[in-house]
Amino acid sequence: MFRKILIANRGEIALRIICACKELGIRSVAVFSEADRNALHVRFADEAVCIGPPRAADSYLNIPSVISAAEITNVDAVHPGYGFLAENANFAEVCDASHLTFIGPTAEVIRMMGEKDRARREMAKLGLPIVPGTPGPVAEEEDALAAAQTVGFPLLIKAVAGGGGRGMRVVRKAEELLPAFKAARHEAGQSFGTANVYMERLIERPRHIEFQVLGDRHGRVLHLGERECSIQRRHQKLIEESPSPAVDESTRNELGAKVVKALEKINYVGAGTVEFLLDESGKFYFIEMNTRIQVEHPVTEMVTDIDLVKAQIRLAAGEKLAEVVPRIEMRGHSIECRINAEDPVTFAPSAGHLTAFYVPGGKGVRVDTAMHSDASIPPYYDSLVAKLIVHGADRTHALVRMRRALEMFIVEGVKTTIPLHRAILADADFQAGRIHTGFLDRHLPVMGK
Amino acid sequence: MKKAKNQPRSPKASAKESAAGALAGAVVDLKELERLMAFMAEHGLEELEYQRGAVHIRLRKPSPMVSIPGAQAVLHSIPQASGAREKRAGGAPATAAPAEDLHNVKSPIVGTFYEAATPGADPFVKVGDRVKAGQVLCIIEAMKLMNEIESDRAGEVVRRLVENGQPVEYGQALFALRPAPGD
Repeated sequence: MFRKILIANRGEIALRIICACKELGIRSVAVFSEADRNALHVRFADEAVCIGPPRAADSYLNIPSVISAAEITNVDAVHPGYGFLAENANFAEVCDASHLTFIGPTAEVIRMMGEKDRARREMAKLGLPIVPGTPGPVAEEEDALAAAQTVGFPLLIKAVAGGGGRGMRVVRKAEELLPAFKAARHEAGQSFGTANVYMERLIERPRHIEFQVLGDRHGRVLHLGERECSIQRRHQKLIEESPSPAVDESTRNELGAKVVKALEKINYVGAGTVEFLLDESGKFYFIEMNTRIQVEHPVTEMVTDIDLVKAQIRLAAGEKLAEVVPRIEMRGHSIECRINAEDPVTFAPSAGHLTAFYVPGGKGVRVDTAMHSDASIPPYYDSLVAKLIVHGADRTHALVRMRRALEMFIVEGVKTTIPLHRAILADADFQAGRIHTGFLDRHLPVMGK
Repeated sequence: MKKAKNQPRSPKASAKESAAGALAGAVVDLKELERLMAFMAEHGLEELEYQRGAVHIRLRKPSPMVSIPGAQAVLHSIPQASGAREKRAGGAPATAAPAEDLHNVKSPIVGTFYEAATPGADPFVKVGDRVKAGQVLCIIEAMKLMNEIESDRAGEVVRRLVENGQPVEYGQALFALRPAPGD
């Protein structure tokens, strides 16, 4: 086991990792920028090293500074948390070259999963379903119909060089294809200088479902069930829960087994998350894998009673999965609300000084935060104030508990997403589990008031 | 400190030559230089030493490393009572010079402080020495690279605030200077 770990992160996740280190009897080293000198991760770690000025590029993202801090404090391992350097393959390599254990998968796996197209191709080869699409651009009108029929309707025509919706067309029927194809090619040519377009099945009102996995250094991988993260705005998750109201046990076992098999083939080590879209007919499509601990990992911890960060550390140190996770029992339902320092309607970040901070407690309530009643939210980093997590016997009980916890959460001095969460929790569709990734954008105008 | 890395004073690393001197008589690929400069920029390095066969290259950004705008103001505004200070790597005494007439030269990087170019050699500066702006005061080793730290002011060295071989963090005060009149 490691003697001492450097935590290359800040905020609540740095505290989360410090908790794991303390319980494992491992000394912890915090690194911090000048903006975080009075932050709690600096206070609770056994040692702390200032690594640079406030700008993340000069401190938390500065690989030589982080490695140098690891060297002067003589640690054996580095935990990257999430964000910053967590999915930086180069950082994992530099750790390796400096004889530091990077707590995560190999640089090679990080790199592969970081290239999203390549990750999809590789995972499809290993047996995971992906969104059907043409393998490359479709140039000729006579090829378009055959390609479209293989992809299936409804489909999206997208510009290869695309962005911002230009060169993009939705096609619902074969008759609509040729006019849309010509229009998309014309628009792509005008906008991007190349008329190349490809086709991809349009997944309407998809749910975001992700599987939590753990892998050891001995070739074994297991999954800890799924999380549903369909409540998001512009791909930023706001509410996560486990289990998903849309996944039953046989589906979980079947897809989970495919995930485990694919990841064992690439010798996946550490914690990771395999993300899928789930369409309205019940089909799953792999979209990407995150090779790190997730923000929303606590909901899985609440239903499995497994400490994922401690597991990460023990697996990185070479322990076997069978020792780290002797059995898996899912119990009850857990929901997490991300409390961000943002305007609940416009989502504009709201940095500043907290004038009051009170967190709810009581049975089945957990708050992961690095804030306190005299803390500041610096403008340099993300806007996460706290993660409010509840556990209940089932989804109904968890919803009741989340509602009362949101009522009892006080943050003053900055605007937060708490009012928005209260509105979502009061929504009949949300309560019934009828959600998809477009839910929030559709309901936002009436929420958050 | 890991054993493999605990040789900060390897002759290779401490052989300081000017870039011009090192390049004389050796063929240096311009592409290679450009690549090294790009590497420095990418990783925010102030200085870089590189050896390949007979070629020894040392690159340094023109601006003195110690002049970090705003760093001083930020550090002075920080209360000393912060719990972190006491626990800092190596238990550095956080005693900075009184602010009213002395000037602190601070470390621009995280690393290990050395007072001399090689073990046993005379220190770059001693208490009582008068130094010029731009004069080398010490070395900070970071990731096996020796970084010469220059004075950002002219003045008299009143105190050395860290021990030889001690780890230092970003912004830590290294020397207290009594600024030269008019500087």
